[in-house]
This record gives sequence, structure tokens and C-alpha cells, in this order.
Amino acid sequence: MGKQMTEMLKGTLEGIVLATLAARPAYGYEITARLREQGFSDIVEGTVYALLVRIEQRGLVDVAKVPSEKGPPRKVYSLNASGSAYLDEFWSTWSFLAERIEQLHHNNHTQEKGEWP
Amino acid sequence: MTQGWLEKVTGSFDDKKRWRQYKARKEQLPGNYRTTIDALERYFTYAGAIVKGDVLMQMLEDLADLVEGAAADGTPVRDIVGEDPVEFAETFISNYSDGQWINKERKRLTDTINQAAAGDA
Repeated sequence: MGKQMTEMLKGTLEGIVLATLAARPAYGYEITARLREQGFSDIVEGTVYALLVRIEQRGLVDVAKVPSEKGPPRKVYSLNASGSAYLDEFWSTWSFLAERIEQLHHNNHTQEKGEWP
Repeated sequence: MTQGWLEKVTGSFDDKKRWRQYKARKEQLPGNYRTTIDALERYFTYAGAIVKGDVLMQMLEDLADLVEGAAADGTPVRDIVGEDPVEFAETFISNYSDGQWINKERKRLTDTINQAAAGDA
């Protein structure tokens, strides 16, 4: 994953993690593993964890401590009502951005071909 | 908890207890994870500039949760902090800016500009 990818992901990772939790509750390592499976191969557990701390502080998730067979209890995160509302806002912002950027890309492309005044 | 005069002199007993518990948790970690948590803790105390004891303890306890969990799951150290540990540390610290000394100055800047923008300064 290149530097540019890392920079772009920074602004969207919060939405990505909330979207993952919308599917079903999970603990930190599970979320990291799921994202890695989906192709975000350089995502590290610490970054995801720091983000979980933030969304917990902002009240977007509920946290349950679940005993684990090995090691300390796990903090399982689930999306709550504020989190769902925040995620909806994330998706509309994302659609807006994606549309604008795609349009820029398209315009530049046709301009190169001389199809655009 | 109401702070008595004694705690004003010695600092919060509660924070001291949490600190001792945190140190005990570190002792339980395997060597390379302990080295990792020690290194992050050192960086946090330098770069975090956190002046509130309870906020600092919350940060260290969250860090311990992360490292203990990773050790239990067998997550390699590199997969916890990534290629750039400084960037990870800064991301982590930004969650606790309430307790940072710079926060007072941020508020001061915001308030002053608000006054200036309103035209009464």
C-alpha cells in the first residue's frame, strides 16, 4: 500500500470500520482481520484500535467486555443509533465525493482526447 | 471522589493505584511486547504532554488493553504498530487531547479569534 493510499484511507477509515460493525459486532482483532481479507492488506491493529477508542469516546458504538479463553477479556464493539446515523452521513458524503471526483476524471480524460472544448 | 488536602499535596491516590496496576499488567507481558509497550509509553509521556493524571492513566490503560490483546492473539509486534510507529503513536495520542497542555492554548486561540471575528476586540 503506497503513501497516497495511506493518506486517502485516513479520512475514510472511520466510515469503513463503522460499516464493518454495521454487518455485525466485533472485537478489534476481528475488524483488522476482516479489513485485511477485503484487501486492505497493510492495515495494522494499532491504527484500528486507536480509531475504536475514538468512536467509543464519541458515543458511536456500544462496548461489551466478553471473557476470552486465552488472555484478557475482549472489548466487543457494536454500532448504536448515533453510530448508524453517523454512518448514513458518511455514505452520503462518500457518494458526493465519489461523484465529483469521477466527473473530474471523466472531464480530464475527454479533454485529452480533444472531445471537450 | 472528593479530593482531601492530602491528595492535593501528593496527587490523586486513585491515579497512583491505577499506575501500580498498569505496571503489574506490563510485567505479565512476553518480552518483545513489553519492550513495545515501554517504548510507546516513553513516547507518549514525552510527546503527549498530558497534564491530567486521569487522562494519562486512561491512555496507558487503553494501550495495555491493545498490547495484551495482541499478545494473546499472537499478533506480531509489527502488525500492531505498522511500518511507522511514530505515526501510530501520534494517532493514538490525538484521542486524549483533552488532557494536553496545548489544549488550553487551543481554546485561548479559538476564543480570541471568536471575539475578533465578532468585532469586539
